[in-house]
Amino acid sequence: MAKDQVKLPLSVALDVVLQGIRIRFGRSMVAFAGVALGVAFLMSALTTQILKEGAAREEEMRLEVQRRISFLTAETGPPRGKTIGVIQVGPLDAQETRLLDSLARDGLAEIRWAGDPATAPSAVRAIVRPAPLETVGAGASAICVVGDGPAPEADFRELLNDARQKVLILSRKAHRVAPAADLSVTTLERQPPEDQLRKLAEDADRDRLRSFWIVALSLVVTVISIANSMLMSVTERFKEIGTMKCLGACRGFIRRIFLIESAMLGLAGSVAGLVLGAAFSLAVSAATYGQMLALQSMHAGPLLADAALAIAAGVGLSIVAAIYPANVASRMVPAAALRTNI
Amino acid sequence: MAVGRSELDALLAPAEGQSRRSIIRAVDVRKVYRAGAQETAALSGATLNIYEAEYVSIMGPSGSGKTTLFNMIGGLRKPTSGKVYIDQVDIAQLDTNELAWLRCRKIGYIFQTYNLLGVMTALENVMLPMSFAGLDGERAREKAIDLLKLVGLGHRILHKPDELSGGQQQRLAIARALANSPQIVLADEPTANLDTKTGADMIDLLAWLRAELRVTIVAATHDLRTLQKSDRIFWIEDGRIVRVARPEEIDFHSGRLKTDGALQ
Repeated sequence: MAKDQVKLPLSVALDVVLQGIRIRFGRSMVAFAGVALGVAFLMSALTTQILKEGAAREEEMRLEVQRRISFLTAETGPPRGKTIGVIQVGPLDAQETRLLDSLARDGLAEIRWAGDPATAPSAVRAIVRPAPLETVGAGASAICVVGDGPAPEADFRELLNDARQKVLILSRKAHRVAPAADLSVTTLERQPPEDQLRKLAEDADRDRLRSFWIVALSLVVTVISIANSMLMSVTERFKEIGTMKCLGACRGFIRRIFLIESAMLGLAGSVAGLVLGAAFSLAVSAATYGQMLALQSMHAGPLLADAALAIAAGVGLSIVAAIYPANVASRMVPAAALRTNI
Repeated sequence: MAVGRSELDALLAPAEGQSRRSIIRAVDVRKVYRAGAQETAALSGATLNIYEAEYVSIMGPSGSGKTTLFNMIGGLRKPTSGKVYIDQVDIAQLDTNELAWLRCRKIGYIFQTYNLLGVMTALENVMLPMSFAGLDGERAREKAIDLLKLVGLGHRILHKPDELSGGQQQRLAIARALANSPQIVLADEPTANLDTKTGADMIDLLAWLRAELRVTIVAATHDLRTLQKSDRIFWIEDGRIVRVARPEEIDFHSGRLKTDGALQ
């Protein structure tokens, strides 16, 4: 005969939960705030990580571009008023773009572009003059090969004939050029030394570990506070629970009510928390590294991944925290509803 | 106070003209509550028999075990020893889910403090136990509306409990108790919080329901009017049923039995 007791439609449980939250708004806010703060802390730590790594990478790139510019300047003199020839063999990467931008800013007069002028960085388009490969070196201080692809088969000495200086620069290691007499070739790309890479990785790991423990601790505190708040809610609602049991609610239904309630508060709190945490992190990073750098370091991909993680953590922990209180509620004796004293 | 054989028969016999099918039967029920080393015997051998479609009142001073007995026959607690049969089923044999089902389908509760869910409207309150029994949707709604009309709340179905008067709340509680067409309705001091007129209306309503729907009504009460409308009255004292009588056998002015109370 117990088999006749149908699994209660989720919609009824959901209804009871939503009305309950609305009625006990003030108390729900405690659990909500607990989750929001815990998730904010988690999100803030994650976002800070992204921003720090982003800033570090930015810094590195800037230094690298600086190095290249210094090299160029050493070879060909300051770019003011000069012309360079660019042989573009594929799409440009960030460093190549930055290099050209920087040269233009420093007063480069003209870039003779052998390739697809549409791929030239927008900041330099004003000084780009499309030119065929044969005359790309006319009046140039140097010829530079840029882009993702192999260098063209060409007689570079021939190309550099009309150049002011016989400087051939290869942007990438992949732009291999056959060695030839009186042709000086330099490649800009270099591999960062082994130990430098290792140090960077170690630093990142250490940071991660440190923040992991702090965040884990704060999440434990969050779970405890949610459990406490839910437990209070359960003991306050002894009459409601007892009445529902008298009306025939089975343990599973009562348990479900509290778990769903906690999950919903957890979801709401997580969303609020992640916005709060990300915003806080951004503000701190902007203060530390400057607004531009901070904004540049916010990459959508890792940020969304972290947001999903924060929500999953918030909801998951809320449910875990509610397990004990939900069990207490489900085990309550129905006769509790008949008690006239608390 | 020992109960003799003939008195036991008297206890177990239904009122005249009533069906002889036993709906609730308690046999030598004992309930002991343990608080640390302290043991309290709430019930020390209560025995009673309630028949189908009877209107029964249970009276007793505070501390007599009335509430505990009520809990037992309502399937809310199991006895420490002795047997409680609800519609021939021994409740000690049932597990928690089966007991929940019993409460859902066979028994309707009317609490002294109404215990209505404030978050829901009158209609939703009545429909809630129906969904526990697997009845929902349009049929549940229609049945709920019929029940609310039956108790005179047809015009208030979308009101929340705190928008209803005390009497109306009690009526809502009655409608809810009838949601799953139970065989038994347990009423815990149904008129305690009501004024005279409303209380009288309540009792009439319960009696009418009993006649119309053939439900068995068991009321724990001190109210004289309830006693007068009952088929039988049980007295509980010190954890035992010490007396059973019919209202016509009681002199309500002196509170004594008209005939010599052999069980005294």
